[in-house]
Amino acid sequence: MKRSGRVSYHLCRLLLGGVFVWAGAVKAHDVPAFASQVAAYQLLPYAWNYAVAATLPYVELLAGALLLVNVRVKPAALLLLLLNALFIVVLASVVARGLSIDCGCFGPDAGTTPFQALGRDILLLALAIAVYRQHDRYVPSTA
Amino acid sequence: MTPLQRTLIETVLIALFGLLAGLALNHRLILDAFAGRLAAPLPVAAPANAALPQPVLLAEVRDLAAAGALPVDARDAALYAEGHLPGALSLPLGEVESQLPAFRQQVAVDRPLVIYCNGYGCPDSFDLGLRLIEAGYRDVRVFEGGFPEWRDAGLPVIEGER
Repeated sequence: MKRSGRVSYHLCRLLLGGVFVWAGAVKAHDVPAFASQVAAYQLLPYAWNYAVAATLPYVELLAGALLLVNVRVKPAALLLLLLNALFIVVLASVVARGLSIDCGCFGPDAGTTPFQALGRDILLLALAIAVYRQHDRYVPSTA
Repeated sequence: MTPLQRTLIETVLIALFGLLAGLALNHRLILDAFAGRLAAPLPVAAPANAALPQPVLLAEVRDLAAAGALPVDARDAALYAEGHLPGALSLPLGEVESQLPAFRQQVAVDRPLVIYCNGYGCPDSFDLGLRLIEAGYRDVRVFEGGFPEWRDAGLPVIEGER
């Protein structure tokens, strides 16, 4: 029982890390295109769309990479948990305002609707919570 | 320090490192954006559903492309293969009806488009622009100087098929 729990913890960690490394890399590759997508959310002043587009992918990349290499897993999972909670609030505001935009979560041409993105982010949030909570059970504390 | 405090501090540090990496790698783009030097309108500022494709000049094409606009080549596939703008997609006017479904799958309707063909006197880019507006694209512009003006300005030209 404990063994299967450990395996599923590591699978969750690798899946969460992989998803965010991919999402970060795709967006970091084309920052101006991602800025256009951030602008489509109509939440930020003009230049701040660029600032978010230029930095957010690297935060996702770094946190995802730490999960993949099994280093600082707990804080990285907490960071992705908070980011996902933020994405869910933002996407809910898109749905509430009736905007028909591409989510931009995985780069310019992914073509995901806000509803689909919302569902996916709720799953990722659950994954981040699982990794955060299970970490102490399966990884002995070195502190 | 409790384990929770330590986790929180490390969380903030990871976010900061990510932010700094992004700022360091994209500082020029961010400075340009805050100085208002990025003339290219993002979708929010774009003229929504303009009935006609808007003409743009060479300097604007470069800014638009840097801000994420997609160059679209309205010439024949053979001319496209001989040389086209960096990042341009080929969508020859003569084949628009057969190629439009694939184009629409590849390009979101809110992505700004800059269409060009063989320069002044070539109507294909304007006609293709009209067709793309009809197909739902919201920000369509025509670079009337076209490929010849781009090439003659010494700007990078890419060879090869789509």
